[in-house]
Amino acid sequence: MIAPLLQLQDVSLCLPNGGREILSHITYEVQRGDFVVILGSNGSGKSSLLKLLDRRYRATSGHLLLENKALGSFAARPFAQAVRTLTQDCHDSLFVSMSIFENYLLICEQFQARFHFIRRKHARLRLAAYLEPFNEKLANNLDQCVADLSGGEKQTLALALAVCYPPRILLLDEHTSALDPLTAERLLLLTRDVVAQHGMTCLMTTHDLVLAEGCGNRILALRNGRIYQTIEAVEKRALNQQQLLAACY
Amino acid sequence: MMNGLLYAVLTQTLTFLPLALGISISYTLMRATDMTLEGSFVLGAAIFARLATLGFSPYIAAFCALAAGSLAGVMVSFIQRGGRVDPLLAGVLATFILTSANLILMGRPNISLLSQATLVSSAFAQSDTLGWLSVAFYSIFFCMLGCALVATRFGLRLRALGDNPALLQRLGAPLERYRLLGFAFTNTLAAAAGMLTAQTVGYADINMGFGMTLTGIGAIILGQQVLRRILHSARFRVSAEFIACVIGVAMYFMALNGLLRLNIDPIYLKMLLGILLVIFLRTALRRSALAGGISI
Ligand SMILES: Nc1ncnc2c1ncn2[C@@H]1O[C@H](COP(=O)(O)OP(=O)(O)OP(=O)(O)O)[C@@H](O)[C@H]1O
Ligand SMILES: [Mg+2]
Repeated sequence: MIAPLLQLQDVSLCLPNGGREILSHITYEVQRGDFVVILGSNGSGKSSLLKLLDRRYRATSGHLLLENKALGSFAARPFAQAVRTLTQDCHDSLFVSMSIFENYLLICEQFQARFHFIRRKHARLRLAAYLEPFNEKLANNLDQCVADLSGGEKQTLALALAVCYPPRILLLDEHTSALDPLTAERLLLLTRDVVAQHGMTCLMTTHDLVLAEGCGNRILALRNGRIYQTIEAVEKRALNQQQLLAACY
Repeated sequence: MMNGLLYAVLTQTLTFLPLALGISISYTLMRATDMTLEGSFVLGAAIFARLATLGFSPYIAAFCALAAGSLAGVMVSFIQRGGRVDPLLAGVLATFILTSANLILMGRPNISLLSQATLVSSAFAQSDTLGWLSVAFYSIFFCMLGCALVATRFGLRLRALGDNPALLQRLGAPLERYRLLGFAFTNTLAAAAGMLTAQTVGYADINMGFGMTLTGIGAIILGQQVLRRILHSARFRVSAEFIACVIGVAMYFMALNGLLRLNIDPIYLKMLLGILLVIFLRTALRRSALAGGISI
């Protein structure tokens, strides 16, 4: 039998100096192609869980495995190629004082072995064509500074750049929460499309039950740093918002 | 009188320019306040002067001065490696170390170069104009080299490093290597300026770099603000960055030499200079900012 893509085995996370436990005894498996929606009230540990998977936090105990290898054993660059994160803060995924094109160049440079031979002109054309389906305004203003973009444009750009070299795992931490309902929905549709298109595995936290209902095939609900509820594909389809609310909070 | 003023401003700007470019790269691109630069400025002058008086060819002396500058940059990046020492403190410590190192290298606080062969001495022997032309050649050569490097992927990385080192690291980039190369690069430029200054003023002095970094940062910010009002654009361009250096440094030396020529007692000099710049920044620049629209 083929191993799960991501395994969390009895993972706990404490604040430094033996402080409070933020996550305790999390055991969970994510298969290839899963889209897991993580729910839970404020402070329940959703972001911390994603930061663990992104190696921004280190687990105090337990094992985190990516394709059966310890998460910590990956070198920086292969890990960066395997796991990308998008949060509501665009500083986590964009170089804000630089232009759209320069952001793209920096990512190409890290992820493409033979970057030396990229011609800038080619790269520009390619980027414009690539951004077109995401947002035409972005595609037509490659030299615009990221800081001058609107919040929705920034998040769209961040998504586009996060998947331009498709990672195996995409971590989304409330990446639509600062956007207006329409933009959020549009971005989420885009997200769902690219995830499906590249066969990525995705973990997404959200407070929006509409999104939770319409998105993803599994639900993981946290409460006070523990797993409170897990819902699998079959049951999930049968639940409406009210039932989700009752089951997960 | 006016000619003399322009002459002084032009020559001082020329020799200061590589240092200003180095400061600009470390301050605006890498967002680091690297105090080491003034130590490297003296280091360049010290090594060149010492080797020249020991009878080495000026080219070898110049090469060693530049190499020493880049080593100083390597040193400061090692001091702050891994984030254990605050970057500003690392620069201050490196300057401490360099002050002693410079004294040891020079053997005395001041070395005269008046009777020595330098990169520009033969040109100066023919005529002053020719001499300054060759100084201009070297200065602009270093600056163009610096600008060319900033225009490449290397410059892109330095800017990314200044903008968001955490993100760069998460992309898997070798952060420390970028920083080391960046500091080596800026400190080489500083050493180049120090070496040129020593050759034009005719001596290397242990105190010749005092306060240069902060003065340079001030001049560069001034130049950038002026240029931004003219261009109405905050987009990064290497040429704009360089022109901002030139404008800022020239304005600084203009104000300094202007005051000197009014026979003002030197103890008032910096105070008046400061007040003059404050007045300039608050009036000339504010007016255009209030003119309307989005100001960048
Ligand atoms: N670096 C940290 N230092 C101190 N406390 C932390 C740190 N990171 C997380 N915590 C604490 O851990 C708990 C969980 O935080 P986390 O950000 O994971 O919650 P969350 O579920 O994402 O909440 P929200 O829905 O508000 O985003 C909080 O009580 C928070 O204060
Ligand atoms: Mg959170």
